[in-house]
Amino acid sequence: MLLFISKRFGLMVLTMLIVSLLLFVLLELQPGNVATKVLGPYSSEEQRTLWLEANGYLKPLWTRYLSWLGGMVTGDFGESIRFKTPVADILWPRLWNSAILAFWTFAILVPLSLTLGVLAGMREGSALDRAISITSIITTSVPEFASAVFLSAIFVFSLGLLPGTSGMTDGFDPLQLFLPVMVLILYDVGYVTRMTRASMAEVMTTPYIRTAVLKGLPFRRVVFRHALRNALIAPFTVIMLQVNWLLSGVIVVEFFFAYKGFGGLLLEASLNQDIFLIEACTMVAVFVAVSTQTLADIGYTYLNPRIRLS
Amino acid sequence: MTQDEKTTHPHIPELVNQLKKGEIDRRQFVQSAAVLGVSAAAAYAMVGATPRDAHAQGTPKFGGNLRVSMNVKEVSDPAIFDWGEKGNVARHIIEPLVQIDKNNVAQPHLAESWNVSDDLKTWTFNLRKGVKWSNGDEFGSDDVIANFERWLDPATGSSNQGRFSSMTETVETGEKDDNGKPKMTTKMASGALERVDAHTVRFHLNRADLSLPESMADYPALIAHRDFNGGDWSKNPVGTGAFSLDRFGVGEVAVLKKRNAPHWNGDVYLDQITYIDNGDDPAAEIAAFASGQVDTNYQTSVEQVPTMRGLPNIEVMQAVTAQAGVARMKVTEAPFDNLKVRQAVQACLDRSRILEVVYGGFGAVGYDYHVAPVHPEHAELPALKQDYAKAKRLLAEAGHPNGLKLRIDCVANPTWEQNTCKAIAEMVKPAGIDMEINIMPGGTYWDRWLSTPFGFTSWTHRALGVQVLNLAYRSGVAWNETSYNNPEFDKLLDEAGGLADVNERRKVMAKVQKVLQDDAVIAQTFWRSVFVSRSTRVKNIYAQVAFEHHYNKAWLA
Repeated sequence: MLLFISKRFGLMVLTMLIVSLLLFVLLELQPGNVATKVLGPYSSEEQRTLWLEANGYLKPLWTRYLSWLGGMVTGDFGESIRFKTPVADILWPRLWNSAILAFWTFAILVPLSLTLGVLAGMREGSALDRAISITSIITTSVPEFASAVFLSAIFVFSLGLLPGTSGMTDGFDPLQLFLPVMVLILYDVGYVTRMTRASMAEVMTTPYIRTAVLKGLPFRRVVFRHALRNALIAPFTVIMLQVNWLLSGVIVVEFFFAYKGFGGLLLEASLNQDIFLIEACTMVAVFVAVSTQTLADIGYTYLNPRIRLS
Repeated sequence: MTQDEKTTHPHIPELVNQLKKGEIDRRQFVQSAAVLGVSAAAAYAMVGATPRDAHAQGTPKFGGNLRVSMNVKEVSDPAIFDWGEKGNVARHIIEPLVQIDKNNVAQPHLAESWNVSDDLKTWTFNLRKGVKWSNGDEFGSDDVIANFERWLDPATGSSNQGRFSSMTETVETGEKDDNGKPKMTTKMASGALERVDAHTVRFHLNRADLSLPESMADYPALIAHRDFNGGDWSKNPVGTGAFSLDRFGVGEVAVLKKRNAPHWNGDVYLDQITYIDNGDDPAAEIAAFASGQVDTNYQTSVEQVPTMRGLPNIEVMQAVTAQAGVARMKVTEAPFDNLKVRQAVQACLDRSRILEVVYGGFGAVGYDYHVAPVHPEHAELPALKQDYAKAKRLLAEAGHPNGLKLRIDCVANPTWEQNTCKAIAEMVKPAGIDMEINIMPGGTYWDRWLSTPFGFTSWTHRALGVQVLNLAYRSGVAWNETSYNNPEFDKLLDEAGGLADVNERRKVMAKVQKVLQDDAVIAQTFWRSVFVSRSTRVKNIYAQVAFEHHYNKAWLA
């Protein structure tokens, strides 16, 4: 088990190293572009050269890569071109905002979809199963940008109940969380429900459940004591993957509601070619992606005795 | 004299005059006056009709927080600002010498007045006295000089170096580059800026520059305190303005609080201005307006205007600019080497119809002389009318009695450009001209914009009419895309460009415009508007051609 875990961690570090190299080469091969970006299109050649020299861009590529990598590891991500402050000063608050959004989304999404999935899966083909499945398919197939518009039309433009944007300009405002969280849940709940349902339905057809039923155990007891534990292993992995999605997959929602989160920051950085910010955001996103993957793998192994024992 | 009369566009008296003489009709008068920022009611009032809502704005109220939806960008160094949004945050803290008002006219700001020598090379600026910096220092010549020295230093990287190129010289640095050529540097020419006394500075330019005051109004030309020399301005924003920076987060929010000191320009009504960054999704901004989270914004695009108008209590303001697209014909290429062909195209166009279908009627019609109604020296010429009989006659005389095939090059985006071409193509059809539209990516077009026989080029706003004409229609200049070459035009343009007095200049401009119009090198059918939205509770703000915010006199009902 220990060997397995350390192997996983080794792979994780290697992946991140490769990504960092690719990222650096892609973005920083032509320093001239950086100077144009900072000083604007009307700057003269002389002004740009002076800037590049002053900011260390005329050193060889590998020196710059190593010092950049060193900075990354120690949490010094350089200075953002767009924000004119250290990247870390913007990155962490934005990441925290995304975490708040993710937390509330998860707090509702996980219990809701697990319950619905189990309800649907425990009696495959029943009226309840059909109803839940069809609803899930419908909500999942409506993209976020459509449901965001739809929900805004109802709650902002028609009813006037909720604020239209979620910038939290005057400090944290729970009302402003409603719409983004609602859109995210609406989009994702169907998927996790379907996954849970599939897993639950599969477990319900296994011989040991049939035995339990035939043995005369009450249905409730069969579900809670015997089926549930095994049925929740697959959804666990699926849910771990949603963490990733909630970090960088929520760009649409953050953009639409002007929520100041990580996804919005990543988009802003890309649109404005804010090189150091793109690099930092990408590395954070990659880190979260590989670490949730690793955690999911480890957790899955731990939860599933068949894998653990072999 | 009231504030309004003081800021009336200099062209208004001339318009009134022309109306009285019968050179323009009443409708044309009201339209032109509206473009220049005068309401229809006020315009009627000027010519003796009954004013209806002369004082609709009401009595100003003190207090309140004006919430503005706008991208909040970094403001670490005013000298290298490259976006209007940065200027808007800073302009309420540090101020320019000159400000372009809602009528596109340069108004004294920190400079109280200026005068210029006859050769337009020596400019004397009298600075406002008794203006205090927020740190207690007195504003004066030293501040202006320190800023100009910083702007024109190549190490600063300021776009002002190009803006004030009449004050710079390019010299050898003494070093050599890798090829052994001497390295050159551009810096402030010695003696370009003279300190006359504590509140007077004199500029000695190396060439005539009529637009010096207008250049001083641009957003990178805000005057910072003389001690500011790089570093992060937003950390210690000392200013002469009515507001101070209270809270600032790039991409999020900028909070400006009214300073606890009198402002040189009298009462300031708002207690606070809050700039809120709603990102780049127009839907977010519209939702913010709908739920009352913001009161006004930076810009509403023409596509969003109908949606904004549909919201309750939201009003869309527009400013007609000198931005325009020209279908320009190269006079050295067949068939455009024949004046009659060009005039035939000109005769086919119904300009207000094109403005209506292409741009929703938001703007002002153009009459092929590339001087906009908002330009201070614009002279009103009689309107051009659609006349197919004339067009056919001209074509026949030019040797095309059975019609003609043309092909215009045009960029794909923004779409109003190709739509203008389509409208023109439809309008020339009845005269027998079959006009094909060759739509291409922007990059491709800009590779050939100077050489193609027939192309549609968009020109940006410039403060003065002579600036555009000098760039685009003077014989032999780099951007002369039509290869237009008319010594008479050049001579008249020289004459106009040498007149500092706007009213004198306008008289010559009437001739300049007429020559260009008669030579029909361009079909310039309309001037585009820009838009700003506001909640009806916001009073005394306006859309400005360069999206500048001037909130010192704004108030909330």
